[in-house]
Amino acid sequence: MTFPTADRADIALLLEGTFPYVSGGVSSWVNQIIRAFPEYRFAIVFLGSRREDYGDPKYPLPDNVVHFEAHYLYDDLVSRAEPASRPGNGEAYALIEQMHEHFAPDQPVASALQEFRSVARQMLPGGRLTADDFLYSEASWEMICDHYRRFCTDPSFVDYFWTVRIMHTPLWKLARVAKDLLPVRVLHSVSTGYAGFLGALLHQTRDVPLVLSEHGIYTKERKIDLFKSEWIRDNRNVFQRDPTELSYFRQMWIGFFEWLGRFCYDAADPIVALYEANRLRQVADGAPDGRTQNIPNGIALARFAPLRALRPAEPPPVLCLIGRVVPIKDVKTFIRAMRRVVNRMPAAEGWIAGPEDEDKAYAAECHALVRSLGLENHVRFLGFQKVEDLMPKIGLTILSSISEALPLVILEGYAAGVPTVSTDVGSCRQLVEGLDDADRAIGPSGAIVNIADPQALADAAVALLADGEAWQAASRAGIARVERYYTDRMMFDRYRQVYDGAFARCPEAR
Amino acid sequence: MLNAKLGLSAALLEINAWSGPLLFESNSDLVLLWYLGGHALASLLLAAFVQALLPPTRTRPRWATLLLLAGFSYAVPIAGFVCVLAGSLLLRFYKLTPAAGSFESLQLPDFDPHLRSQGVFRQAGLRSILNNSQVPMHTRLGAMVALQYVPGRVASPLLRDVLSDPAEDIRLLAYGMLDNQEKRINRAIDDELQQFGQATTDAARLAAAQRLSDLYWELVYQRLALGDLRQYAIDESLRYCEQVLAEHPASAAMILRRGRLRHEQGDYAAAEADYRQAQALGLPATRVLPYLAEARFEQRDFAGASRLVQELSAWNSLPRLRPIVDYWTRA
Repeated sequence: MTFPTADRADIALLLEGTFPYVSGGVSSWVNQIIRAFPEYRFAIVFLGSRREDYGDPKYPLPDNVVHFEAHYLYDDLVSRAEPASRPGNGEAYALIEQMHEHFAPDQPVASALQEFRSVARQMLPGGRLTADDFLYSEASWEMICDHYRRFCTDPSFVDYFWTVRIMHTPLWKLARVAKDLLPVRVLHSVSTGYAGFLGALLHQTRDVPLVLSEHGIYTKERKIDLFKSEWIRDNRNVFQRDPTELSYFRQMWIGFFEWLGRFCYDAADPIVALYEANRLRQVADGAPDGRTQNIPNGIALARFAPLRALRPAEPPPVLCLIGRVVPIKDVKTFIRAMRRVVNRMPAAEGWIAGPEDEDKAYAAECHALVRSLGLENHVRFLGFQKVEDLMPKIGLTILSSISEALPLVILEGYAAGVPTVSTDVGSCRQLVEGLDDADRAIGPSGAIVNIADPQALADAAVALLADGEAWQAASRAGIARVERYYTDRMMFDRYRQVYDGAFARCPEAR
Repeated sequence: MLNAKLGLSAALLEINAWSGPLLFESNSDLVLLWYLGGHALASLLLAAFVQALLPPTRTRPRWATLLLLAGFSYAVPIAGFVCVLAGSLLLRFYKLTPAAGSFESLQLPDFDPHLRSQGVFRQAGLRSILNNSQVPMHTRLGAMVALQYVPGRVASPLLRDVLSDPAEDIRLLAYGMLDNQEKRINRAIDDELQQFGQATTDAARLAAAQRLSDLYWELVYQRLALGDLRQYAIDESLRYCEQVLAEHPASAAMILRRGRLRHEQGDYAAAEADYRQAQALGLPATRVLPYLAEARFEQRDFAGASRLVQELSAWNSLPRLRPIVDYWTRA
């Protein structure tokens, strides 16, 4: 597959693990934004883990994407060339030492960021801190040994050594990407993390404005992954272990992503969240309050409004979860809820419409759960489906996620007249019950339940499906809410202001 | 009857006391003494009559009340007599409603254990720290991390409590931990279902059925399945258990399992029959008696529960059961 390349572009979108290779809410949003601004030429920098983790692109590139490049952070970790011994640049390692001392909790964040910036500059090709020095030099070895003795509470040096290497090596790859990127006027990152680090590095070296739009909160999501992960080892024995203390390697990874987040927040302006709780979380994680703002998602009503006429008179007893089959969507809670739904409404069906290739092990678990609950005849895995085809056939959209921001699928359901039952995550309560008094006056457009509570999810769904009047009222409320508050026009107008402001600050405009 | 006699005697004596001065028409000391003596005796009898009429709460201390009533009717001739009678009748038939309390109701002060210095979380401490959203986040996260080392049966309800916590980090971590526990069992169930389906010999099929019964029971025991799912897990465990018992009707362990499952279903009579049978087949009393006692307790037969626990105390039971044995066998 060939991708476009160009000499220059207006906006570089920095995308980590999303559009165009992964389908989902963030990818749809990116697609929307690119197509909404045909007057700008976009460059896309896709950052992934390994090439083999992604299939073919899920979205065709819009015509105004003039440049596309993909980089895989964990491919080619091992050098093909024979490594040679080297002493390493003492001054560069003194800088790193100084930076780590400023990372201590009692030191001011501003001075730590200043040190971080100077180290990051040295990581660029031509700088004093090279990847080969990090991997093979004596100075690097000395520093790793010294930090292990002073800080590490896990007895395994081997694990510590490899954790340090694997954690930091992708940063040099990103420094190379930053150096080689085509000239652009504005940078737009859709997360902190590695993409945010790249954005901040580019902002620092080229003085180009960096816009940050966060759907979920990257640092928080990584933190939860790290708490849960089974691959991070804890080698402490029963005498060394404090049961209230997280294993040292988990703490290292969490600290790493927290500092990447702060580095990005420090460089970005504006910092956009989808709703207030996420904005406050960004501020708590180090984003300067004055640079933050909320821009809610919106959808194209014209795409979904005609579907209302296709609905049957009675709500179909079909509960549909539209989304990727991944742990964060907690598909298993939906399957468990279906056990209770089917006990109460034997004709009910549960549909899971979304790709299963992103986390195959999890998808296998979901299939196994369907079998172990005896739901083979009631739960169907449909794979990726066109939302427009599904909407007239379903009675409810179900969102059982454990974490969300402002899910487009709820809004799409509303626009097609389909109410929702959702978990109380992200801005879902605001989408179902309303935000302010005027919004609440519209009435509930579905129901909200706690996370991981299949009983409550099933009861709420059955209550809506079994009561035609309540279902119609929720459907009307959903249509009214999406038409009044969540159209793509509103979102595009806000982003037009964001881009106009950024272009006015770019070096060429000054 | 005695009361009526006392009252009648008091009235007659009083009339008798007054009759002296009226009959003898004399002002001699003897007449006065006649009157005072008769009046005193009449007052005393009246006091005794009235005291018996009044509710006991109003006549304590008894001797002082008796003397007061007698003294009053003695010191105020006629009127005192009438008033004591009228007052006692009033007290007997008119019950005062208690005056409205002037105290305001107050909340008990909250016990906030994180403010006390403590190095380790005991189980109760862990629960209060997890449920208190005012406790600093790192302390709560520490409590969550410590839960990894707590048995699943204890940890699951604690984790489920914090699933609706306002802090998303806590919520998600609790979810992840519960999910990991459940995942392990469900993965094993799926493997065993395949083994069961592909088994070519009866022995392999039965071994798989026994493991499936164990695994579904584990979901119930670890409190990982709730509501309909719990019911489903119980039904499945019972179904596979029955399959094993059909082939091996004398398997004490499986009969005990069937008893536990029927117990969970609320079928106590059948559960007890299984427990008894398991014991008869050789299971030690210390494994069976606690369940029998629990079944009795749940049927509100406390005497039966106590008797069974007493029986248990004769055995060297598990140290964890010691406090329960002590409680139920206390004289």
